[in-house]
Amino acid sequence: MSDLNVAIVIKLEPDFSEGNVSYNPDGTLNRAETKNTLGPHSAIAAHAAFYSKVMYDAKISIGTMGPPIADSSLQMAQRICDAEELHLYSDRIFAGADTLATAEVLKTGIEKMQGKIDIVFAGHRASDGETGQTGPQTAWKLGFTFLGNVIDYKVDLKERTVIAKRMVSLQGFNDIVEEIEAPLPVFISVDPAYKANFNTVLQRLSLEKYKKEAKIRSDNYKHYLKVFNAQQLGVDLKFVGLLGSPTIVYKVERIPKGKATRQAEILDGSNQEDLRKAVAKMKEALSAMVIK
Amino acid sequence: MSDNNYQHLYVVIEVQDDKIVPVSLEMLGEARRLIDSFNKKYQSNEKVVAILLGHNIKEICNTLIEYGADVIVYADSHELKNYRNNIYTKTISQIAQDEKLSAQISPSSKFKKPRYMFFAADSIGRHLSSTVLVALDSGLASDINKLEISDLKITHQHKTDGKPVTYEKTLEMYRPDFSGFLWTTILCLDNKNPQIERDYHPQSCSIIPGVFEPIAPDKGRKGPIIEYMPTFDQNDLRVKILSRQVIRSGVDFDSYKTVVSFGRGIKDAPEQNIKLVEQLAKTLNAEIGVSLPISKKPFVVSENVSSKYMISDRVIGTSGRRISPMLYVAVGISGAMQHVVGMQDSRFIVAINPDENSPIKDECDVFIKGRMEDVIPKLVEEIKQQSLAVNA
Amino acid sequence: MEKYDVAIIGGGSAGLAALKQLSNLGKQAVLLEAGNKIGSKNVSGGILYSKRPKKGHVHNVEDVYGDIFLSEAPFERKITKYILHSTSKDKVYSIDLTAAHEYESNFGYSVLMNKLNGWFAEQAAESAQRFGGGIISGVRVNSIEWDEKNDRTIIRTDELEEFEVKAIIAADGVNSEVAQISGARPKFTPEQLYQGVKVVVKLPEDVINTRFNLIPDEGIAHLFAGDITLNHIGGGFLYTNKDTLSIGAVYHFDSLLANPTEPYTLVNSLLKNPMISEFIKDEVPTRGKIDKNLPQEEQIRNRFAITKLIKSWRELREAYLSQKGKNDLLKSGKYQSVDEIKEQLDSIHNQLTQKYDVSFVTDYVEVEYSAKLVPDGKRCRMLKPYNKNILFIGDAAGRGVFVGPRIEGLNIGIDDAFRAAEAVARALDKNNFDPNYLGEYYATSVDESPYTRDMKQIDKDYLKIFLDATKDIPSDIISTRYGAVLKLMSSDTFRSVAVKFANILGYERLLPMVESEDTYVKVPIEIAKRLGKTIQPTYTPSIPSIADRVAKLNFNDDNNSHIKVTNPQSEFLKKIITLCPTKCYSLENQQVMLQHEGCIECGTCSQETDWKHPRGEKGVVYQYG
Repeated sequence: MSDLNVAIVIKLEPDFSEGNVSYNPDGTLNRAETKNTLGPHSAIAAHAAFYSKVMYDAKISIGTMGPPIADSSLQMAQRICDAEELHLYSDRIFAGADTLATAEVLKTGIEKMQGKIDIVFAGHRASDGETGQTGPQTAWKLGFTFLGNVIDYKVDLKERTVIAKRMVSLQGFNDIVEEIEAPLPVFISVDPAYKANFNTVLQRLSLEKYKKEAKIRSDNYKHYLKVFNAQQLGVDLKFVGLLGSPTIVYKVERIPKGKATRQAEILDGSNQEDLRKAVAKMKEALSAMVIK
Repeated sequence: MSDNNYQHLYVVIEVQDDKIVPVSLEMLGEARRLIDSFNKKYQSNEKVVAILLGHNIKEICNTLIEYGADVIVYADSHELKNYRNNIYTKTISQIAQDEKLSAQISPSSKFKKPRYMFFAADSIGRHLSSTVLVALDSGLASDINKLEISDLKITHQHKTDGKPVTYEKTLEMYRPDFSGFLWTTILCLDNKNPQIERDYHPQSCSIIPGVFEPIAPDKGRKGPIIEYMPTFDQNDLRVKILSRQVIRSGVDFDSYKTVVSFGRGIKDAPEQNIKLVEQLAKTLNAEIGVSLPISKKPFVVSENVSSKYMISDRVIGTSGRRISPMLYVAVGISGAMQHVVGMQDSRFIVAINPDENSPIKDECDVFIKGRMEDVIPKLVEEIKQQSLAVNA
Repeated sequence: MEKYDVAIIGGGSAGLAALKQLSNLGKQAVLLEAGNKIGSKNVSGGILYSKRPKKGHVHNVEDVYGDIFLSEAPFERKITKYILHSTSKDKVYSIDLTAAHEYESNFGYSVLMNKLNGWFAEQAAESAQRFGGGIISGVRVNSIEWDEKNDRTIIRTDELEEFEVKAIIAADGVNSEVAQISGARPKFTPEQLYQGVKVVVKLPEDVINTRFNLIPDEGIAHLFAGDITLNHIGGGFLYTNKDTLSIGAVYHFDSLLANPTEPYTLVNSLLKNPMISEFIKDEVPTRGKIDKNLPQEEQIRNRFAITKLIKSWRELREAYLSQKGKNDLLKSGKYQSVDEIKEQLDSIHNQLTQKYDVSFVTDYVEVEYSAKLVPDGKRCRMLKPYNKNILFIGDAAGRGVFVGPRIEGLNIGIDDAFRAAEAVARALDKNNFDPNYLGEYYATSVDESPYTRDMKQIDKDYLKIFLDATKDIPSDIISTRYGAVLKLMSSDTFRSVAVKFANILGYERLLPMVESEDTYVKVPIEIAKRLGKTIQPTYTPSIPSIADRVAKLNFNDDNNSHIKVTNPQSEFLKKIITLCPTKCYSLENQQVMLQHEGCIECGTCSQETDWKHPRGEKGVVYQYG
């Protein structure tokens, strides 16, 4: 038995990098033609969990909700963090879930993992639309303390607490690093700026040892994999999938052209009329709505 | 359930170091506009309710009224001085469901939950909105940059059992999609299908900072300011903030809609030219950035100017910051790739440069040909004349 | 403080061999590498030799790693032909030096360091772990303290807590910082160094086999002298790898200083040579102009679609044109037959040309540009390759054998590593790290190495092989310049005497005469002009600009520069503006200015700068090396 049981929730996402992504003529993502990969933020979460393995010899379980092919994301995450247990929650009824309904599945899955989970790690957000709600919503359903934007953490195994550093970035304020202490269990959403610090030779050597183990395990990931459908998971069908989703996507449309295509209009800096025109354009740019 | 169960638009205000985070006022502005037209359209009298949590925040309440809130509900406790997810979530969801409170806002015996709810899409609101909405058992759309309220006829397999149903007073929440080309409109709808009937209110979203305009403050506005006395679970208080450390004392490009940057083009008279750039930035209410080579101190300038501008924090580019202001003015910057990477996402780019062949020409929307010494003074005059309304 | 027996600083092929060999001897060692991944900072020509000298004994790669090296290591091809070309414009005269290449040699493999060092690291780490050691990457050593009072050596890094060791093996390369911080030797001077620049060119495996007339897994090395040198002392090379070519230019640093020429110009001069142009040519997709009138998202969508198709075409073609790739595709079940692969390939090709305005042209595909300094062992090997309890090996000790067409470095580093490991293991057994016991023992061992001998004197047998190979060249071309000496050397009777005499006279004193413009430039040009056959180029390769080359490299940028210009008026640095392989230097107001972004850490500028390796994980990340 390990002193620390950690879980990671991850997501299989389209690979948006040029050369792998494909778009339909209407601008929507061509999912069939686009390769899938472990979401970059999920990968960061896996790295954060791996820190617990190296430092505290934690047992790691990974869970994901998705189609059967999402097992590849579990393998990729296992390759990063040397997990002992892989969960795939896969059922057609889960399809179309919004964040609330996804959180319900993940919460139920985490409760089925081996050992009592002390820390759950999740990515900051997904790159294909989900904007970082699933993590905190799962946390709340689990009754775990939620810590967001975590850039560093350590665990006090004796006190059963976590001390985490989180990044607070607010419009118009300098960034703040907040150090926060919380009793286990906690749910950590990992900031993209997270970087594990292994400061001694011994830690680094043990890191290498686990990395090697991770490679061996992930080459043989099916051995660690458990697949659950809705029934096996024991979720209430009213709270998952489309039925359990308060929100719907009503429509998708093109954003009216916001960005100028950078074809410079060349104006003469010594001509007052030209400068007037320049300022007018600047004014127009500033008055229009921001599309980020 | 009756429509009266849900009333008002609640806005969760954020305060940091006794100051209002600007997005809070932006949300109030949009809330004001939406509720004004809502009340007109539906001949009702719903309110914009600001929820404010913190410590020694009473004075801020008046400001929120000036910026468009009808009612303030605040909870003041040293435990709430800084955001902690658990006690913030509980306090806000209690406020949102407190019937006594709602009776003070407007007498309505039926109030159960807010009709709409706004949060900021930032490192507090994004997570807070998520947990509050689980606590309130409703839906949430994140990172919204456009909102409308309308009556929509919906046919949905689950929500309406495939039959057309008109949803009144529905908040259409527009989210710019991952591709950057698409807008996804998200609705939070009650299940009207008799078999799975279930209400989902409030309809809520988090809002991207910097999108909406605050209204002009009106000192004459008045409204009730109600204190809510929260109670805390002792176990929740075991989550402690041990320290808070400001990490960037430097340059805050994100709070400015405009950034003016200068590069090697200042070389003929560095000191004077930087003054010109300062002037331009001041007129545009812009932050000042530099292109890469500047930070290597290739020019002789006074220590004063050097320590202010020739610092890595100001560098925009591959090894510096990546920014996307609405307006970017590149002064005397040739447009090397190292720099372009840091600014190409700007909405509108103006370059001032004597050399029409410099690569920046292909990276900008307006290319003003000329030496900065000649162009900037005239440009500043022109900006003043057209009184370019720019706010930070 | 944590304690370890041995620290090895630097994870190149020498450092890794030291780690492996120490583990073979059952000793605990920790290897520290600054790059984020082993191999990411390593560049080599490169051919890795295994030798069997007639006199004395060297330790080869397979002695360190075992026979598994031969069966599993990811080397590229076994070099079975070795040809020297003299060039003059479109004329080339070729001399077969395969016999010289095979002289005293078990084998020579072409290698790419990133891949190969990755494999070495796996092997070494696995052994090292058994004795509580291993490899730590992303860590840069910044100081070493000898705490005499407590008789301990403390290593400090930018990244980790300090720790204690008993002995150190310095394998941190030609720009060894350990040598600097320990005061073991001054920086190498331009007279002691070569600067090498290399490009890796992609070419499908089957195309290489056909074009170079090779059977699978066998390779060829081409060397070049003559007008491609642009009047510098040194030459060019082209080695066949599995599915790439390594093409590089290596010149004496002092000859570059005398006549500053951009390193990329030197490598470009090779690529433009018609023989090489023809060697590297391939079918290359070229994008048409994007229609700027389309909406922006449409433009991006098209761009993405084209990128994806080109990527698929490249990957599929690469597999189709390689035996293993083809087999893997068939095995995967995606394709039923080779014809089917070809059909798919053609269909992508058609889509690209017909739908997306992509044309396929004859050109070449360059995938990586790199540079490194190479220590000329004849001139710079450390006579005392130790300091206190530090032993220096490989490039860090200035060791390499460069004699005419003989170009060896990797194998020498491995031989050093073996000897250093042996010396350290002996010291550990006796717990005696006194320089007289550890350092001297190592120095003696290195001195006995046949490689050291080859750095000190001429090997008359090797010379004979070389001279035999050149016997078809009319003597008047050579004799005007080397006349009497050559006659002497060519005679079997007199060669022994002459070589002995030369070696007594002092090898060092002979070098300037042998390594001269005559040898590398004038004579080859004349040979090519008179004897060479003409090669007609069928296209002009579009050579990327240096900016494009740098843009293609991966960097983990550091905001703080690892190099500091201490004297911006230095005349040396003004030449470096030209000689920096990635153009990091420029002149502003008569002051030399450095923009360190884009630095590939070759050390060309190190002579007169405050030069350090970037912090752990920072800086250039090579994919091939």
